[in-house]
Amino acid sequence: MSAQPIIHIENVHKYFDKVHALRGVNLYVQPGEVVLIIGPSGSGKSTLLRCINHLEEFDQGHIIVDGIPLVTAENINAVRAEVGIVFQQFNLFPHLTAIENITLAQKVVRKRDIKEAQRVAMDLLEKVGIPEKADNYPLQLSGGQQQRVAIARALAMNPKIMLFDEPTSALDPEMIQEVLDVMLDLAQEGMTMVVVSHEMGFAKAAADRAILMDEGQIIEEASPEILFTHPKHERTKRFLSKVL
Amino acid sequence: MKKTSNSVRHISSNPLVDRLKSLDRWWLLLIIVVVLIIFLISFKPDPYLRILLFARDGVWVTFYTTVISFFLVLVIGLIGGLGRISHNRLINGIASIYVEIVRGVPLLVQLIFWYFAFPSLIQNLGDAWNVPAFSTYKANPLLMAILGLTFCYAAYMSEVYRAGIESIPKGQMEAARSLGMNYFQAMWYIILPQAVRVILPPVGNEFITLLKDSSLVSVVAVADLTRRGREFMAANFIPVQTWVMVALLYLVLTLIAARVVNWLEKHSRYER
Repeated sequence: MSAQPIIHIENVHKYFDKVHALRGVNLYVQPGEVVLIIGPSGSGKSTLLRCINHLEEFDQGHIIVDGIPLVTAENINAVRAEVGIVFQQFNLFPHLTAIENITLAQKVVRKRDIKEAQRVAMDLLEKVGIPEKADNYPLQLSGGQQQRVAIARALAMNPKIMLFDEPTSALDPEMIQEVLDVMLDLAQEGMTMVVVSHEMGFAKAAADRAILMDEGQIIEEASPEILFTHPKHERTKRFLSKVL
Repeated sequence: MKKTSNSVRHISSNPLVDRLKSLDRWWLLLIIVVVLIIFLISFKPDPYLRILLFARDGVWVTFYTTVISFFLVLVIGLIGGLGRISHNRLINGIASIYVEIVRGVPLLVQLIFWYFAFPSLIQNLGDAWNVPAFSTYKANPLLMAILGLTFCYAAYMSEVYRAGIESIPKGQMEAARSLGMNYFQAMWYIILPQAVRVILPPVGNEFITLLKDSSLVSVVAVADLTRRGREFMAANFIPVQTWVMVALLYLVLTLIAARVVNWLEKHSRYER
């Protein structure tokens, strides 16, 4: 592990009109690290995650991803090409089949030819365990299958970092594990991951670090075992007593 | 005139039986109209066949004036619609002013402006700047009619596009942008293909309304179906038969257009 963080977030502030959503957040993520962010709803955890690939503009502070500061439009596009994101609501493209969902950006952004894009897509569908669904449309898939296609779609761009924004919150309970398994594999392969989730099982199995956010600030951070079992802060204790 | 609906709705999906029923009914109406025309021209060729033969070039003019205008409306309306959702103040302002002005002026007045006032303006400019090509500018009626229809309907269409684009969930744009696509790539590959499915019913409606409103070009020297009807009536003094025939010919055109739109809607639904 190099000492240079791949994600460098420094004193970031974000306002939604009058609401101060992020209040001076500092976070440094090392290459290969898996960071879990927990916290009550409205605590700013999704907003922080979405700032990393600039889906959310921030009003103050600096974010540098893999040496590229999020300032100009070109830089933002360059960062987005290196950062994959998986959304709570999957956001698959409903007018395209599963394999087309995965090949489109490869062709348009990475300029791969169709043959190679399809080969990459099939390999990834194999990896997430649903190669037989390649020609199905998203509406023909279960939630868990859609989320796995969404992960494959992000991975097809060969990202250095994967962001997960509550990837299992919209899923039926019996489908959560199939998505978590894919994420565990990714973590084991050494992918740098920032995950907003309350899946404690995943956290204990894969996360190097867990962070509790509240009211736009990082309250406490530690390894998951320590944060979940011996939290220092009153607020962390209160939150954990509700979710655990 | 017409009003532009800001809300875009899907046609409610009836059970299959209902759909077949309604399909039959509308095809039936078209068939009845065609049969009626055939009946009239066979059993009363004078005056009905005469009217048809006299006005058939007008049917053709009405058809291609509408189709050419509509094609341009689809393109310019898209630009206008993108302007309306733009966060750039200048672009948004220009698009909004265009839509508001066009919506507030009757189409007939606009057509008359393009045919009579616009060429005069060009000539005045030519005189002032000493450009002979401008001074001797003569308006081509058909060109000005197509320009007028397009200018007006593109404004309505940009509102349809805007509503369609805004109906697509925000997450679609976010997903596309986070894969590294730029704004226009995301629009072209992700948002528009979905928006087009949503706006097909109102777009089809616009086409049919345009087809009917194209009758207004008859006042600016375009020999469309309506103008040919007026000419025939002026020469033969049989208003009832003339306008029955003209109305039936318009009906055939609009009913066919409605069937085409219906077919397009059916074949653009998402597979489930």
